[in-house]
Amino acid sequence: MSVAPIEIAETDLATARPWVTIVWNDPINLMNYVTFVFQDYFGYDKAKAEKLMLDVHNKGKAVVSSGTREEMERDVAAMHSYGLWATTERESS
Amino acid sequence: MFKRSIRGKVTLNLNFDERKVLRELFNQMHELLELPDVPEKSDPLAVLVGLDGPTQEPSDPAIARLFPSAYKDDEDAASDFRRFTEPDLRNEKLTNIELVSHLLETDSEKLELNSAQVNAWLRSLNDLRLVLGTRIGITDDYREKQSTDPGLHLYDYLTYLQSTLIEAL
Repeated sequence: MSVAPIEIAETDLATARPWVTIVWNDPINLMNYVTFVFQDYFGYDKAKAEKLMLDVHNKGKAVVSSGTREEMERDVAAMHSYGLWATTERESS
Repeated sequence: MFKRSIRGKVTLNLNFDERKVLRELFNQMHELLELPDVPEKSDPLAVLVGLDGPTQEPSDPAIARLFPSAYKDDEDAASDFRRFTEPDLRNEKLTNIELVSHLLETDSEKLELNSAQVNAWLRSLNDLRLVLGTRIGITDDYREKQSTDPGLHLYDYLTYLQSTLIEAL
C-alpha cells in the first residue's frame, strides 16, 4: 500500500474536525450531575468526566467534544436536553 | 428519595406531601412550557414541513435557561439551530414531565423505576431546578446571602432529591 492515500485521509480528517462543543459554567447544575452527563452521553471514564467538569467549574468552560459541525450540533442539542449550557464554534487554532 | 435496591433497581420513596408538592411544581412547569412561543403569523407551508420553530430566545428567562443559544457569536446560526431543534426539545421536556407526573399520581410511597422512568426523572428534576433556580436568582454564593425566599427551601429540597438520584445511578 502506498503512503499517499493515508496522507490524504489525514488531511481530510483535519479539515473535517474544525468544530468543538463547549460547556459553560452555571450556578445551578450540580457538579456530580455534570460529571454524570459527561459519562452518560460521551461515554467518558470517571476521571476524564471529572476533569472536564472541574474545568467547567474553575475555568468557566470546557471543550467537551470535537468533530464536524453536524456532530457538534448533535452534541449541543444533547447537552441542552440534559439542561447543560452548551454552544458550538469553530475550533480556535 | 432515590435509592438503588439490592436487586439493582432504582427505587423512589416519596411521602404524600412530597408527591403533592412535586405534582404542583411539575404542573406549573408543564403550563409554562406549553405557552405558545411561535410567531402568530405562521407560514402554513413552513408549518407543514416543520420549519415553523422559533428563531428568538424565549422571553421568560427561566424558560430561556432550558433552551440556550447554540452559537455565542453567530445570531443567524443560533436562529437556525433554534428553529430546527427547540420544538423537539420542548416536546421531549413536556413528555418527561408527563411521565413523572403520572408516577406521582400513584398512591404508593415506594416505586421501582425502569430506565425510561429514571431518565425522565433525571432530566425533569434538573429542569425544575433550572427554572426555579433562575426564578429565585441562584448565584454561586447564594448561601452566603441568607435569603429568606421561600423558594429557596424548595430549591434545596430539589437539589437533595437530585443528589440521591445521581448517587443511585
